[in-house]
Amino acid sequence: MTGGAWLCLLAPLGGTILITLCGTRIPRVVAAWISTVSCFVAFGGAVWAFLGVQARHAVGPVNPVTFLPAVPGRGEITTAWTWLQSGNFHVGLQLLVDPLSTVMMLIVSGVGALIVLYSIGYMDGDEEERRYFAYMSFFVFSMLLLVEGGNLLLLLVGWGLVGLSSYLLIGFWHKRPSAVQAAKKAFVMNAFGDATMALAFFVLIAHTHSLSFAPNFDVHLSSTAINLVALGLLGGAVAKSAQIPLQTWLPDAMEGPTPVSALIHAATMVTAGVYLIARTHPIFEQAPTIELIAAGTGALTLLVAGLIALVQTDIKRVIAYSTMSQIGYMFLGAGVGAYANGMFHLLTHAFFKALLFMAAGLAIHALAGEQDIRRMRGLGQLMPFTKWCFLAGALALVGIPPFSGFFSKDSIVAATAALGTWYGWIFWVCGVAGAFLTGLYTFRLWFLVFPGEPSPFVREHHHRHGRLEGALTMLVPVGVLAVLATVGGWLQWSPRWTPFTDWLAPAARTLPVAIPTNTQEYYTSAATVLAGLAGIAVAWAIYSERRIAIPAAPFWRRALEEKFYFDLLYDRIFYAPAAAVANVLRREFEEPVVLQTGSDLGEAALETGGLVRRIQTGFLRTYVLFLAAGAAGVVLAFLIAK
Amino acid sequence: MLGPDVAWYVAVAAVLFGIGALGVLIRRNTIVVLLSLELMLNAGNLALIALSRHWHNGAGQIFALAVMAVAASEVCVGLGLVVALNRRNLSLDVDSLSELRG
Repeated sequence: MTGGAWLCLLAPLGGTILITLCGTRIPRVVAAWISTVSCFVAFGGAVWAFLGVQARHAVGPVNPVTFLPAVPGRGEITTAWTWLQSGNFHVGLQLLVDPLSTVMMLIVSGVGALIVLYSIGYMDGDEEERRYFAYMSFFVFSMLLLVEGGNLLLLLVGWGLVGLSSYLLIGFWHKRPSAVQAAKKAFVMNAFGDATMALAFFVLIAHTHSLSFAPNFDVHLSSTAINLVALGLLGGAVAKSAQIPLQTWLPDAMEGPTPVSALIHAATMVTAGVYLIARTHPIFEQAPTIELIAAGTGALTLLVAGLIALVQTDIKRVIAYSTMSQIGYMFLGAGVGAYANGMFHLLTHAFFKALLFMAAGLAIHALAGEQDIRRMRGLGQLMPFTKWCFLAGALALVGIPPFSGFFSKDSIVAATAALGTWYGWIFWVCGVAGAFLTGLYTFRLWFLVFPGEPSPFVREHHHRHGRLEGALTMLVPVGVLAVLATVGGWLQWSPRWTPFTDWLAPAARTLPVAIPTNTQEYYTSAATVLAGLAGIAVAWAIYSERRIAIPAAPFWRRALEEKFYFDLLYDRIFYAPAAAVANVLRREFEEPVVLQTGSDLGEAALETGGLVRRIQTGFLRTYVLFLAAGAAGVVLAFLIAK
Repeated sequence: MLGPDVAWYVAVAAVLFGIGALGVLIRRNTIVVLLSLELMLNAGNLALIALSRHWHNGAGQIFALAVMAVAASEVCVGLGLVVALNRRNLSLDVDSLSELRG
């Protein structure tokens, strides 16, 4: 079981090192396959670890469908060596294998392997394919380190490394200035979250002298300290998961290649915040205010992102905003204490959002890089496979039964109803309104891109790669994920059947207050499904039949197109003053003082040198004269002093 | 106390030292420069011995012996250089030996 975890962690790292060392001595396609195989090996390791956890200490009869025991085994920590030691503070290089981390390992390595496989076709012919695949493997390694790390410090190491690989991959096309800008933006905003997490860890070390998971969760800190720690962790989670107010980097991150968007900015890295909350939930439970802030952040983000998605015209940006919105749901679930529901939505979201991105990638690939949905009408007639796969992903995203999103999203909204407090009902309304928005923006995208007669632009630019709609390496992962997006949610149908929640119970037990009654489940499901259907119907009426005109409301439209002015605001608050100060310093200090001093010094040295050079005549007599004069001077000085 | 006063000895030593120093400064022939150097050293010796006797202190005489040893070695090196220069048919004029000139 621990062997599986180590294999899972080290296989992608080995792939990265191998590709890097081989350099240009191997053909591009070999580098691609090294990366793919390393990710599939990691998936094998994850399955091994999963089976190990399943077998260990498991109690009760095994479920005949899922093969999960009624009470799964607890986790195990494996330590390779002491990695860092300072006084009585030890940190080991250790991995944690427990129900929560095995679920994340399966998601990261499984979806990751499929997306790397897809990349083989998508990146074919790119100049720097080897670098791309080395980065991809490195990302999978970093993400696995994040989810497997056996203490908070290793978690932070993984946390930083995924930020780094995200930066490298967003800026992969480094000749595009916009990609480089987006990469820097993502890195800076993530660094902010890393910093707040590090501060939280300092507080933890100061109080408990430890960063391991176990003792911190038993020690009861003062309420100020625990609130600070929880707030720092939340800051990291919010930055990594692109929640308000640190959300502006995610849409810009779509400058990276599409498989990168699918893997990092949809399926795995951006959901790390949810994992963090589930992993450190005992801390959050001791700080209920902060946990409530997390839930509120999620509720706000899911609405704001859903609204902004309504007016985006870039196919990838629409999906990016929907990612933010869905992570808002996960935060909402984790924030109210329904950790398993949040994690379950993370799982299904990984399937259907990776599917949507990769189907969009097929469309972009076929249209030679065009991403504007206003030009794509009627693509479905030319690409039926893409069309149906995208539809499966879209229905899962909106949460229409029996697609996977229905099972995971509804249980989160139902958990808010179970709270029974006033804010619980506000969250409930936000969740249902979010479902309506999801239906609207998702099917706006669908009706604009796929049905109908192909537009002249599509006719002109569409080209097939061979007989199929794309390379086989691209179609297979899309097909697999389409199946998973459809059936992936059948793992759990709360409240009737909850193997996923039971599985996570030893690591992150759902709070009793967040367990809804059957009635609450049913009317919440009815409300969200109806809201989703209403959203689809409105999208159909507006964008397909054109029966309803789009409401003019220029003020609101402009606000949405400007993304609620967040970028503008940050530009004014942070960038503009910093740039002004820097400009003044350059004009008033650097140019006149720093730069001028250098050349002044140089000129002075040259002049002095020119003067002193004249003494060096080269005649022995001159030197002797100076020597004698010097000796006479010394003698005179002594005589006078006497 | 036999002979003239110690001041005379020191005066002769000073005159000898001045002649030697002028010789080093003015003459161009390497051998004459070396001779002048010897003159300066021995002027120093004369002063040392005279004062040694005046103060009844033997240290000055011992010191003069040491200076003679140094002078002998210096002459060895200096004359060796002169012979080496001559073998290469180089000029013995000290002003033409100005490789170090800046």
